[in-house]
Amino acid sequence: MRKVLAGNQAVAYGAMLSGVEVVAAYPITPQTTIIETLAEMQAEGIGDFDYIRVESEHSAMSACIGASMGGVRTFTATCGQGLFLMHEMLHYAAGARTPVVLANVNRAAAAPWNIWSDQTDSLSQRETGWIQLYCEGNQEVLDTTIMAFKIAEKLKLPTMVILDAFFLSHTSEPIEIPDKEAVEDFLPTYDPKDIWLNPDNPQTFGGITMSDAYMELRWQIQRDMERAKSVIAEVHEDFAHHFGRMYPQVEGYLAGDAEVLVVCTGTAASTARVAVETLRAEGERAGLVKIKTFRPFPGEEIIGELKGKKKVAVIDRNFSPGAQGIWAQELRSVLCELSDQERPKVYGYIAGLGGRDITVKTLKEIYYKTLRSHRPDDRDMWVGVRYV
Amino acid sequence: MKHTDRQVNIPLCCISTTSSLVNKTGSWRYANPVFIHRGSPCNEQCPAGEDIAGYMYLAAQGKFEEAWRLIMKENPFPAVMGRVCYRFCESKCNRAEHDDPVSINQVERFIGDYGLAHSLEIDLTRPETNKGVAIVGAGPAGLTAAYHLRLLGYGVTVFDSNERPGGLMRYGIPAYRLPNEILDAEIGRLSNIGIDFRMGVNIGESIDWEKISREFDAVFVAIGAYQEGDPGIKGMDKKGAVNALDFLKEVNCGKYPKMGKKVAVIGGGNSAIDCARVSLRLGADVTLVYRRSQSEMPAHPEEIEMAREEGVKFIFLAGPQEIYGPADVSGIRLLKMSLGPIDDSGRRRPAPTGETVDLACQTVILAIGESLKVEDLPPSLICDKNMVKADAFGKTNTDGFFAGGDIIDIPHTVTHAIGSGRRAARAIDRFLRGKKHDEDALTPTLELADNNRLNLFYFDHRSRTKAHRVKVGERLTSFGEVCLSPSEEEAVYEAGRCFNCGLCTECGNCYIFCPDFSIMKNPDGYGYIVDLDYCKGCGICVQECPRGAMKMEFME
Repeated sequence: MRKVLAGNQAVAYGAMLSGVEVVAAYPITPQTTIIETLAEMQAEGIGDFDYIRVESEHSAMSACIGASMGGVRTFTATCGQGLFLMHEMLHYAAGARTPVVLANVNRAAAAPWNIWSDQTDSLSQRETGWIQLYCEGNQEVLDTTIMAFKIAEKLKLPTMVILDAFFLSHTSEPIEIPDKEAVEDFLPTYDPKDIWLNPDNPQTFGGITMSDAYMELRWQIQRDMERAKSVIAEVHEDFAHHFGRMYPQVEGYLAGDAEVLVVCTGTAASTARVAVETLRAEGERAGLVKIKTFRPFPGEEIIGELKGKKKVAVIDRNFSPGAQGIWAQELRSVLCELSDQERPKVYGYIAGLGGRDITVKTLKEIYYKTLRSHRPDDRDMWVGVRYV
Repeated sequence: MKHTDRQVNIPLCCISTTSSLVNKTGSWRYANPVFIHRGSPCNEQCPAGEDIAGYMYLAAQGKFEEAWRLIMKENPFPAVMGRVCYRFCESKCNRAEHDDPVSINQVERFIGDYGLAHSLEIDLTRPETNKGVAIVGAGPAGLTAAYHLRLLGYGVTVFDSNERPGGLMRYGIPAYRLPNEILDAEIGRLSNIGIDFRMGVNIGESIDWEKISREFDAVFVAIGAYQEGDPGIKGMDKKGAVNALDFLKEVNCGKYPKMGKKVAVIGGGNSAIDCARVSLRLGADVTLVYRRSQSEMPAHPEEIEMAREEGVKFIFLAGPQEIYGPADVSGIRLLKMSLGPIDDSGRRRPAPTGETVDLACQTVILAIGESLKVEDLPPSLICDKNMVKADAFGKTNTDGFFAGGDIIDIPHTVTHAIGSGRRAARAIDRFLRGKKHDEDALTPTLELADNNRLNLFYFDHRSRTKAHRVKVGERLTSFGEVCLSPSEEEAVYEAGRCFNCGLCTECGNCYIFCPDFSIMKNPDGYGYIVDLDYCKGCGICVQECPRGAMKMEFME
């Protein structure tokens, strides 16, 4: 079925089609229409799940952890401040190995209040043990939500589906909505296997663990995060097999012969596709690398795309105060294993914070600045900012 | 660094190897949550002792017969009560602070009507005893005592000097408030359970107190207060000056007395309002005269309001000085009053100013209160301040004699009379079973579910159902009922507004909120139980109980 859906509705369809059994969420702009749509689906009987109203995002995630440990498919959604409030329970969800799926609508951090797009909220959660998948369009949002459950459940690791505030959450696109039966075929009912709360056999979960075992439990998370790289790829291939749509974890676009590449995530990637096409028309050897997965960080694929290139411009709609853009940091640490000859120069740009537009013009300026400067410097890396 | 490749079997998450049930966390507890049936303020306030919170719960679920039976446990007149009770309960309703008090009276009225419409009958379940009780006075107190004693298996004979039973309910309350057929139907149910009515009997004529005392094992005296008060004014002998009770009785018997065009009613109580409104319906131009101001009137505010909207005129701060006229009344001289210091009744005492004013009228109805006619009482009873000396359960100074209704020191309302009959029946039962009279044993003690015991977050705001009143113009053309019964939908809605204070309604909050799964459905029946092996005594269940049906008990 084809429908015109906003990104938030696409998330809700994804969760509902996945046969989610428990939704616990707290409303926050611009996430609200996700859980409103789900609440309507539940009220109308379109979705057969329990909807738990809670008093905060901390409680939402707590309820999700409890539900997931109870052995049911569990979903929540939030953004910005809500995700910050969840932070403690995000660690817990991963530590307790609960395959909760969370849709995060990227929203800027307060103060000052700002409800527009900015990736700092989700990127701030990188040490929590959550798999993070960034989406470029609404179809990818819906499809990734479905895939997220499969990835999470295979690995027993919580998974975050991330979409830009307003650029996706409130913008409508024609979307192919898969049949429920087809989704069920791709994603069967969740089997929690041995970890679940069973009233007939009460056990303590996550109780005090001494130093003799804590490290092993943490190692297992790392081991499974490494394993996640192939699991994510398999699930995406499996999805492509079922539905004919493929979203690589790292995608090169007009990248093969490019000398200067722009690295983008989220909706900036879709703008960058146009920018690169325009630059090509101007005779430039420009290319794009879109990264979908942030955790686990797909180092090998990135190296595959960037090895031997001259220059890389990383667009970060986020930043780590006192350091640089977060994607750029990650990229540098991956590329440092290359030899000097193979390693491109990495130019880290900060752009589009708090919802400021990243336009084709912006991206072209970034391209030419990268092309023309001999080395990355500290000047003029905040794109379009009024330095004061 | 030592490294090993040895495979160890570690679960993904730290899980206890044994069931956590071995850890009896109940040992950490310093306080126990307990389920408790608290008394709701309305129940506590009800002079008839009805379980209002209980029947509201049933009515809200449409279980009207069960609700009716619950009222009938205390009060045999739900349809009457739903019409004439001055709803003391509503003045204490916890909902008042939330939005508006529950319209308890309307729900009761619906339940009462339901009982009549479905011909619900009283079940006698107790075995018959060989003891008999005489009830003297077939008013609300006497009939209620008769009903309860009958339920307890006693033979009951009711004596009354009137032609028909009902007392003040029949002869004192106008039909626009209580139609005869409602009263007849509710009294009819009492005849059906074998109460023996001896009507038209004047004690001292065919039977005297001594004979009654000899023939019966106990006697309940509830003859009412019908001695007209002496206003101490001149001109009471003039034609056209009447006493309120006589007037109301005549009208209720269908003998519409001849009265003048202009009527003055003297008094500020409910009887005064009744007389004024009855006079209006008989076509008179009515002025009610009261010696204090409106705020001191003992009449129910709604009655005053309806009298006013029907056209009764009010003169406040004026008392009767003299009824004047040749042989017939032609007017009343009123003494103007001012309010002085507060008296024993808690109201400001009216004091004559010396100024007078004349009010032309052809009829004066005096509604200044009635008192006990002492000579009609059993001679052995001691009276104090013109009331029979009796305790809260009607026990008098004479063994085997109990008293209730308007002859003892309680407010003169039908509801209080019913309550006195019910309490006396319990005391008589104890007496007849040879047990010592014990007021404490007869008084059920419940902790009160007052407002601060409730968790109001669980209750939304909902407006109170308004009573259906007939339009003023239509009211005055007949003695038809002024207030109409609510619809079933309204009754269910209104009953649903009740917080059911102090009563477990199995809402499940305690069960849902318990972090230790220590609240469980009661396997043996209603409600929930606490698993003290694991309850840590956190008290969340008590906090989250919306209606104060739980409490924490601290351990020694």
